[in-house]
Amino acid sequence: MASTSTITRRSLLGAAGLAGAAGTVATWPRLTGADIPGRGEDMLTVLILGTAQDAAGRQVIADAFMEEHPDIPVLIQSVQATDWGDFFAKILTMVASGTAPDVVYTATEGAQLFAERLALPLDEYIRRDADEMRDYFDDVHPSLVEAFMYKGELFQLPLDFNAANMYLNLEVLERNGLEMPDEDWTRDDYTELLRGMRGDATPYYWTNRLFGGVVPWLYVNDTSFLVEERAEGGDEFWSTFYPGQERSGGYLWTGSNATDDRVHETFEYMRQLIEEGLAVRPEQGGGNTLVGLFASGRIGTTPAGGYWVQGLAEGGMAPDQYDVQYFPKWRSQRHQFGGAGYAIMRTTDKADQAWEWIKFCASKQAMELAFPTPATTPTRRSLASDNLYTGIGPEHWARFYDTLDRFPETGPIPAPPQQAAVETALIRNVSTALSGDPDQLTGSLETLDRDLREIFTEEDA
Amino acid sequence: MTRHLPTLAKYAALLVAAVLTLGPVWWTFTTSLRPAAESFSLPPSFFPLQPDFSSYAAVFEQIKIPLLVLNSALVTALIAVGQMLTAAMAGYVFARMEFRVRGLLFAIVLSTMMVPVQVTIVPVFMIIRGIGLSDTLLALILPAVPTAFGTFLMRQYFLGLPLELGEAAAIDGASPWRTFFSIYAPLALPGMAIVGVLAFNTHWNEFFRPLIFMISEENYTLPLGLVTLQGNLGTGSISIVLAGVILSMIPAVVVFLFGQRYLRDGLTAGAGK
Amino acid sequence: MSTDRSSAVLRWIFLAPTMIGIGIFVLLPIIGSLVLAFFRWDIITAPQFVGLRNFTDMATDSTVAISFLNTAIFVVFAVAAQLGVAMLLAVLVQSRMPSWLRVFFRSTFFFPLVLSAASVSILMRYLFNESYGVINWALSLIGIPAVPWLTSTQWAMVVVIAVYVWQNFGFSFLLFIGGLGSIPQEIYEAGAIDGATGWKKFQRITLPLVSPTLLVASVMGIISALQVFDQPYVLTRGGPGDSTRTVVMVIYESAFRELEFGRASAIGLVLMIAIMLITAIQFRLARRFVFYQ
Repeated sequence: MASTSTITRRSLLGAAGLAGAAGTVATWPRLTGADIPGRGEDMLTVLILGTAQDAAGRQVIADAFMEEHPDIPVLIQSVQATDWGDFFAKILTMVASGTAPDVVYTATEGAQLFAERLALPLDEYIRRDADEMRDYFDDVHPSLVEAFMYKGELFQLPLDFNAANMYLNLEVLERNGLEMPDEDWTRDDYTELLRGMRGDATPYYWTNRLFGGVVPWLYVNDTSFLVEERAEGGDEFWSTFYPGQERSGGYLWTGSNATDDRVHETFEYMRQLIEEGLAVRPEQGGGNTLVGLFASGRIGTTPAGGYWVQGLAEGGMAPDQYDVQYFPKWRSQRHQFGGAGYAIMRTTDKADQAWEWIKFCASKQAMELAFPTPATTPTRRSLASDNLYTGIGPEHWARFYDTLDRFPETGPIPAPPQQAAVETALIRNVSTALSGDPDQLTGSLETLDRDLREIFTEEDA
Repeated sequence: MTRHLPTLAKYAALLVAAVLTLGPVWWTFTTSLRPAAESFSLPPSFFPLQPDFSSYAAVFEQIKIPLLVLNSALVTALIAVGQMLTAAMAGYVFARMEFRVRGLLFAIVLSTMMVPVQVTIVPVFMIIRGIGLSDTLLALILPAVPTAFGTFLMRQYFLGLPLELGEAAAIDGASPWRTFFSIYAPLALPGMAIVGVLAFNTHWNEFFRPLIFMISEENYTLPLGLVTLQGNLGTGSISIVLAGVILSMIPAVVVFLFGQRYLRDGLTAGAGK
Repeated sequence: MSTDRSSAVLRWIFLAPTMIGIGIFVLLPIIGSLVLAFFRWDIITAPQFVGLRNFTDMATDSTVAISFLNTAIFVVFAVAAQLGVAMLLAVLVQSRMPSWLRVFFRSTFFFPLVLSAASVSILMRYLFNESYGVINWALSLIGIPAVPWLTSTQWAMVVVIAVYVWQNFGFSFLLFIGGLGSIPQEIYEAGAIDGATGWKKFQRITLPLVSPTLLVASVMGIISALQVFDQPYVLTRGGPGDSTRTVVMVIYESAFRELEFGRASAIGLVLMIAIMLITAIQFRLARRFVFYQ
């Protein structure tokens, strides 16, 4: 009996060994990633933040591109990340592991990190192809372009952007007998509005990222948590494409401004909103829950950009159930925006082909393909139009783009090259600042200040 | 009377503990069967009277579940098989063979049990790059195959097997190889199963290393895919996320139902000695 | 003679995969970490020797200090709760009851162990949501106002601990079931003659006899709790503020978000030394308190 079982077990062992070996051989391409499209092939690889589905969505652009440039095969790759900081870290790891792409679609949050460490400036190409480029720059607001200029050189052509506007839930307003506010409403009007819906819905919900949640309030209070300066340079570019515009060589964030009185004032206002039960704590924000909660009439207002239109439509919200308004006015009505575009990696050996891709993607034809739905705002004004929003966008969809004209001082998300560390410091301290008493707020801002100082001095060392 | 009260209290305590243990999983299950728009509604529905499977369909649309499962299965299976084989071999040597540096080598193996994976992750990342396996499933598999704990377990297991069998075989003229493969290895299968089930449990659920090593979505494992599904930039609904969570639990539950004894034995055997 | 030779060959061939593997993927990386800890390196530019700066910076970096404190708090409460709950349930389950019921309870308490910490944290995040979570809804039924579980510095750590314990108590529970099962029935019978019942029985007979198991359970519990990452990463990302930022989270963030690989290595080494010290101390203490049959 014992020996029979031993024999069975012995053959079991053998069979397992064989099966293991066979399985390994059969799945070898999967194990080594050789089955991933484009691995080991000589193609222009374009990396985007998103799912494989998103990558597949952009395939139409790649196809259109390859029709025009049959000699440049393009591969769209996607990388999933929980936020931009995570995405940049992954790109750096790709560089480190020798699997870096040639072109990366990256946002304001990473613009200076890329400019400083990873990307090639586009100026020479732009100068060379100035005639072709005129159509693009004529259609794109200079504020958007300026945000991607770093120390006088342009690193990306922004293709889409979102300014932080205020979304208002018309159902919640109606339930509580409230009116849609005017364009020049103030912070106090806003507070009153929130009070009017207390007890019925959550009046103010944070937008999906802290970075986007706190800075708009600092901007309308005419301040920021970082010292903001402008670089010299870029004159030739501006005079060529935007004659008569007073623009700089790009933004510079040079140090901490966290102990500024207005920063304190802004945080104190938000802290009181939370204390009064008018706003949730910042951690509760999140794309996941936000759309569902807003669409089902449980949230009164939330700051978001044009990208939200598509999400709300998918969440089952009709265009007449909500509307969008500019951010309320405080000391100023300066808005915050973030944009995105392609950057050429310094490590690439296909810079010329990469430029052809970038140039193609900035064309009207490609941008129409890239933004078929209002899941973001196209940087070409001619595309942020009825075609995009009719039947799906809120009544005042035009405000998404008009924000830039109406408030010319509107600026980008403050993101110096040390963005990851800055974001970490901000997120870490914003939540404590806002969820305690005034003393805790002061303490948190001091910590934020110290953290930021450390980040900026480290870079100098 | 006084005898019944403690019994009653005992069952009450156990029942509460059981409800607290299973409740969250049950809630996940029932919520995954609610339509996305209702997933936040309170009170929660604890009984799926009108199950709505649309969230499950959505999971398959939003993330490539079959690929995630394949990746997780490949990684887990190869680590498990690799650990079973290598641990059995090394454990056998440490248990049954006398040689000069045995104590030293075994001490080295044991001491690495205490090294947290976070300490070695950066150099391992560089080594993976050096051998050209960046962003491949092998980057997860290879470093996880050598197992100090499994070796320790198998050593204990071989120590528990009768010495006489080997001696008898040796007297009959069997070579050391034969002694191992014909006599001890088959007997050690239950021990290897323990190592395998433990490896499954650890690596099917592993999050830290895939989070760092896997860059391409094609290489994501299940837990990583799920966390990304509920990531900050996404706008997935809670029902969809929870449907994904339920799907990811199924293989673990299957192993739980059929491999529970091995898992239990493994955990307790490792601790008992 | 030939047997000796072939057993020597077998020995080295059998040891090779494990020893070489451990050498390449554990020992070599430890040395690598040791070296790296003295450099500043972001993978892209050349490493820069900085001496002890990564270590001295740790002393002044409040985040690191807080993360060690958080981890210490986490370990103490999580392990205590894990062992306490597990011991109570193990004793109850091992008491007299129908065997199908025992099997049911045993399987139930063991079940969370087979789930992934990431998945569990995802679903717990919803359960603990302040406004729309089931837990606050249940509390509201008995008149308790909404608790900001994951969004306040006071509660976030409590939730992280609770979620961790929920998932891991089954491990200690299993160990205790095994430990309790190996206590010979005669000892209890002898105890019963001496009049030991209930708590006394537990204190005088059960506890000493399972003390070796308790030692192992606590050593293993502490080692794994010191490395907690998945739960705070998914539940809170270390926030609000730094309130749930653990050592491993700081290692992860330093290395793979801020690309401070040297700093990450230095923190990792300190963590490893802490783990070894704590384990050594436990075994030292055990000599005095653990009762071996």
